[in-house]
Amino acid sequence: MIPAAVRYTRPSTVDDAVAALAGDEDAKVLAGGQSLIPLLRLRMAAPSVLVDLGGIAELRGVREDGDTLVIGAMTTHAAVLHDPLVARYAPLIGQATATVADRQVRHLGTFGGSLAHADPAGDLPAVAVALDATMEIAGTSGRRSVPATEFFVDYLTTVLQPGEVLVAVRVPKREGWGSHYEKFNRVAQAWALVGVAALVRRDNGTITEVRVGLTNMATTPVRARAVEDALAGAAAEPDAVAAAAAHAAEGTSPSDDLSASARYRTHLAKVLTERALRTALGGSYAP
Amino acid sequence: MRLEHSFTVPVPVDAAWAVLLDLPRVAPCMPGATLTGVEDDTFTGTVKVKLGPIALTYQGKGRFVERDEAAHRVVIEASGRDTRSAGTAAATVTATLAAQDDGGTRADVVTDLTVTGRPAQFGRGMIADVGGKLIGQFADCLAETLTASPELDSAPAPAEAEPIDLLRVTGGAPAARRLAGYGLAALLAILAWLVLRRRRRR
Repeated sequence: MIPAAVRYTRPSTVDDAVAALAGDEDAKVLAGGQSLIPLLRLRMAAPSVLVDLGGIAELRGVREDGDTLVIGAMTTHAAVLHDPLVARYAPLIGQATATVADRQVRHLGTFGGSLAHADPAGDLPAVAVALDATMEIAGTSGRRSVPATEFFVDYLTTVLQPGEVLVAVRVPKREGWGSHYEKFNRVAQAWALVGVAALVRRDNGTITEVRVGLTNMATTPVRARAVEDALAGAAAEPDAVAAAAAHAAEGTSPSDDLSASARYRTHLAKVLTERALRTALGGSYAP
Repeated sequence: MRLEHSFTVPVPVDAAWAVLLDLPRVAPCMPGATLTGVEDDTFTGTVKVKLGPIALTYQGKGRFVERDEAAHRVVIEASGRDTRSAGTAAATVTATLAAQDDGGTRADVVTDLTVTGRPAQFGRGMIADVGGKLIGQFADCLAETLTASPELDSAPAPAEAEPIDLLRVTGGAPAARRLAGYGLAALLAILAWLVLRRRRRR
């Protein structure tokens, strides 16, 4: 279907983008368009104006800033996948990004767009939460930073206000951590029924720190705190991992729909958490 | 899809019944709706829904199919259409009041929802969640309304309704009440929400 007529503008700076959005609640930011364009074609979205961020060089690319990694919001999934800094300091992002949709989508879809769209089945929000990422947001009243845990509000809803633009995502550098993103879906390139982002640090045979983020176990990404608490200080052994993973669904509220029942999702969360942790522990860890 | 909500209010069943039939008082509980006309047992209206990038405007009508004074049961049918996306939504709402031993009233609200068209193809079932959430808010507000002032007074002045915004509506009964709406035309809002949830199946 052909989208309804819409005004279109392609600013070349963040300030111009913010200005273009200002004062118009129906203006909409266009990033990679992999979610928005289908919505336009379904005519389920009818913005007054599309503000295309594609021409703003500042928003693309990954750079270092001290002990953090700064990922431009308009960096495509493909670029993230092939970025050496991401591979070194935050491989979890690459592991999850590799599971996002298909190659074509990854070449157009963006890291920031995926986060700002805030689909509960999207893979990157749980990763951002697990990594303690910080969202950098530009608006008419200047810039602000919001922790990932506070960024996601509800279905397709973030703290981003009309007129605000997600500029970059700051991720603390982590070296020496094991990580893995375990995603379960029924057909290739589908949305996650459930996904688990796991980060583990170990000191010889002991797990010292654990961070687990869950995809699609609530309307927003959530941390599996009970798993983290159960595993911190535990032995890096299969029994301990399995026991901790059994707590994965605690405090979550998965949806019940045609794709999966809430009960099935609860089951998946436990199984996938165990798998994710096992893989993240990797190496000498013998399951 | 079938949604069920129940609540009790500390007012006698007859008083609650009178309020339940008073659309102008009940309607504002359902966010997002604007009344465009009322005639006898029928009404027309629009419901705007906004969720993230999604914006739908359902235009529709509703009517009282049944008003059973003895059983304290009311049945309302409402349906609407979003012309842009060619989606439709329909709901049959059955509300039943029953006197409680303590002098209060128990209300059971059963809603049957059907969503069609492109929005319905959206898949993945945010539907149940959001529909439930919205009806839950409606029920909460209804409980407050029935409790607060059983005697009839004038309805709030209808005004242009704001689009439903899940974020702002959540926990915001006063805000919801401010949104002018009318009668259960507002129930179309639910349908629209449902619709949102259905999207996307890759």
